[in-house]
Amino acid sequence: MRKALFYVPLAAFLALSLFLLSGLFSDPRDHGSALIEKPLPAFSLPDLQQPERMITAADLKGEVTLLNVWGLWCPTCNAELSFLTELRQQGVRIVGLYYVQPVDAAFGDSFDIKALRHDVEQKLAEQGDPYLFNIVDEKRSLIFDLGVTGAPEAFLIDRNGVIRHHHVGDINPQNWPQLQQRYQQLQEGDPDAL
Amino acid sequence: MIAELGHLALCFALVLSLLLTVFPLYGSYRGAAGPVLLARPIALLLFLLTSVAFGALCYSFWANDFTVLNVASNSNSLLPWYYRMTAVWGSHEGSMLLWVLMLSGWTAAVALLSNSLPLILQGRILGVLGFVNVGFYAFILLMSSPFERTLPFFPVDGRDLNPLLQDFGMIVHPPLLYMGYVGFAVSFAFAIAALLGGRFDANWARWARPWTLAAWLFLTLGIMLGSWWAYLELGWGGWWFWDPVENASLMPWLVGTALIHSLAVTEKRGTFKSWTVLLAIAAFSLSLLGAFLVRSGVLVSVHSFATDPSRGLFLLFFLLVVVGGSLLLYGLRMRAVRSQARYQLFSREVLLWGNNVFLLTATLVVFLGTLYPLFHKELGLGSISIGEPFFNSIFMYLTIPFALLLGLAPWVRWKQQQVQPLLKPLGLWLVGALVLAVGVLSMYQTPSANVALLGLLLGAWVTMATIGEIQQKAVQLGGVPGLFKLQASHWGMVLGHLGFAMLVIGIAMTKTFSVEKDVRMKIGDSVELNGYTFMLTDVYTLNGPNYGGQAAELEVFKQGERVTHLHAEKRFYHVTQSVMTEAAVHARLSRDLYVALGEELSGPSWALRVYVKPYVRWIWLGSILMSLGGLVSLLDKRYRRKRNPTAAQTGEETHA
Repeated sequence: MRKALFYVPLAAFLALSLFLLSGLFSDPRDHGSALIEKPLPAFSLPDLQQPERMITAADLKGEVTLLNVWGLWCPTCNAELSFLTELRQQGVRIVGLYYVQPVDAAFGDSFDIKALRHDVEQKLAEQGDPYLFNIVDEKRSLIFDLGVTGAPEAFLIDRNGVIRHHHVGDINPQNWPQLQQRYQQLQEGDPDAL
Repeated sequence: MIAELGHLALCFALVLSLLLTVFPLYGSYRGAAGPVLLARPIALLLFLLTSVAFGALCYSFWANDFTVLNVASNSNSLLPWYYRMTAVWGSHEGSMLLWVLMLSGWTAAVALLSNSLPLILQGRILGVLGFVNVGFYAFILLMSSPFERTLPFFPVDGRDLNPLLQDFGMIVHPPLLYMGYVGFAVSFAFAIAALLGGRFDANWARWARPWTLAAWLFLTLGIMLGSWWAYLELGWGGWWFWDPVENASLMPWLVGTALIHSLAVTEKRGTFKSWTVLLAIAAFSLSLLGAFLVRSGVLVSVHSFATDPSRGLFLLFFLLVVVGGSLLLYGLRMRAVRSQARYQLFSREVLLWGNNVFLLTATLVVFLGTLYPLFHKELGLGSISIGEPFFNSIFMYLTIPFALLLGLAPWVRWKQQQVQPLLKPLGLWLVGALVLAVGVLSMYQTPSANVALLGLLLGAWVTMATIGEIQQKAVQLGGVPGLFKLQASHWGMVLGHLGFAMLVIGIAMTKTFSVEKDVRMKIGDSVELNGYTFMLTDVYTLNGPNYGGQAAELEVFKQGERVTHLHAEKRFYHVTQSVMTEAAVHARLSRDLYVALGEELSGPSWALRVYVKPYVRWIWLGSILMSLGGLVSLLDKRYRRKRNPTAAQTGEETHA
């Protein structure tokens, strides 16, 4: 028995190698989000450009939509804007989900949607505007429900408002073709295609 | 032309490393001195050729030779010369070249300095090192050559070095870290040589100890610098993120720390042999595993190099051969080894065994925390992530018994210790530690901060117990002059333990008392944090050699008196189109003031992040003190005593 103990490290290592081997052939960025294949969670949040208009999940139905989580504070998101604008020109329907960072109320700072709207409009005028409209998630509730881990992230949502794909990181010319494939499958209305 | 020269040198180096595997192992097997002696010039030549290759890559970066792919992707003509040099190891290929440079350097050092070892053992050690070398030279030549050309369509200018890496910390962090990782190859070679020969005596442990200490010393400094670099460059004021790659460096460190303690037992008492050998194998295996995790893309991290499954496959295969092979050998050989030494339940042996257990538990925690997401996903259970709270809470609980043991162990004798004689002196020092911890904490107004109290108490306990032990030694040796009789390795232990105490105090205080504020400021605005008033006096446009951006000037006051001036930058690197924070830090022993400049907002106003971090310096100073302890131990005279290998020894070990 004591002799067998000396082989325990070897056995543990061999078991580990199996995992490492299979890990090599799967994409670590491929997050199996809990919401894949589920309808968008219910929400009612203001439109950035017209704060009096409330957007709900129903507004995203009807057409395949790329929901892009972003914020001015996020440099990668800003870098992504020009490519997303190109995609919009190619006819991709992109809706922004604006990630508002927490503000410190104790310091007398408060969330000011007008100032934000001004800043965003200025940025989009400079870099290009890929968005049909922008949803402002001041309390980050929808962002939390979607399981967003950071910005930028994107979700592909089909005609029926069902989340079909979760993309972590920016969208760029390198990874777009893969995403585009899914987008087009959804576009062609094949419900089983993933 | 120069690049091809480098490539050619690497090819020759591969051949030499093959010879280095074959000759000395054959010599040891046959008991022939000739082939073993040949290993020395081969090892030196190997190092020389690798230096030529490394020099060739440095030259290509220096001369902005964008026909070399690696230069074109990682450098730029606007980059200042010192960052062009660090860009040499800024990419996967270049860092592999640095890795083999260091590996061949360690190999050459072993070849030069192991004169006093029995020839048979020398042969085995160099042979094992040669084998490890073969793996890495093959990897670099087949999978990641740094000398690939972009010809015939070479770019006019390069893509620039990742701005995160354009910092002084980056100049020294990877070389030190790699020195540590690769240095464990020597401990590993010692362990395998001992397994091959079946002899693990006190001499063997004494030979292996300085090499292990040296590797551990570099690794400690490397990790410390990495932490410091993250603190300055990432702009979140954090110093440790439990990122997979950081964890990959922490695991060999934890095991290496256990190894230097276990080696002490093997040297002094001739026991713990199976522990020592396993730890030596584990330390290097975890270094290799770290290399695999970083370079294969199995885990995602801010540090990861570009991913490529074929590289991962090669490394995994190498890992299987080296680690699997050595663990198999371990199973085959160790079951025959018996320890003769006897010791009681309350003895230094048992306390050091406790040290091994706690350090290995900590390693296991890091290991599982790092790889659990991978296991989870590969078992088809979906993605999860394991964050800071998991590591922080477990490490906090592990530190408590560990620090208590650490203070106690140096007081306890080998073999057996009576409890009675220790009670009075240790009790006094314990009271001293309590008074110190509570006293320091009472200066802060929140006595409810339990973690800080606990950390302070543990730190003070380790400090007091260590000082007390020295005081006791002084009494035994006849006053303060008697302390000069203590061995250097004893002083090394004292420094190492004091460094650990500083580290624990620093972590506990920073975690508890750090305050931060995200603010929006106009020029002339000021914000108050923890009694300090930060006033934004100016923001202007930056004009660096390869970046633009903005810089903010701040004045800091405390109770109306000016404390310091701070200068924070937000850089925009043109070529890579990326934004980098250069935080402004004003450091004192008791606190850091830290300001990071954020986005420009309408107004014009700026987002700033302001921190006051008490005792954060202690984390790095403690680490430096620990490495200093390693250095002092390393300089102990007994590791440099010359021993002439006699013919009798050589003959004896041939049959082992």
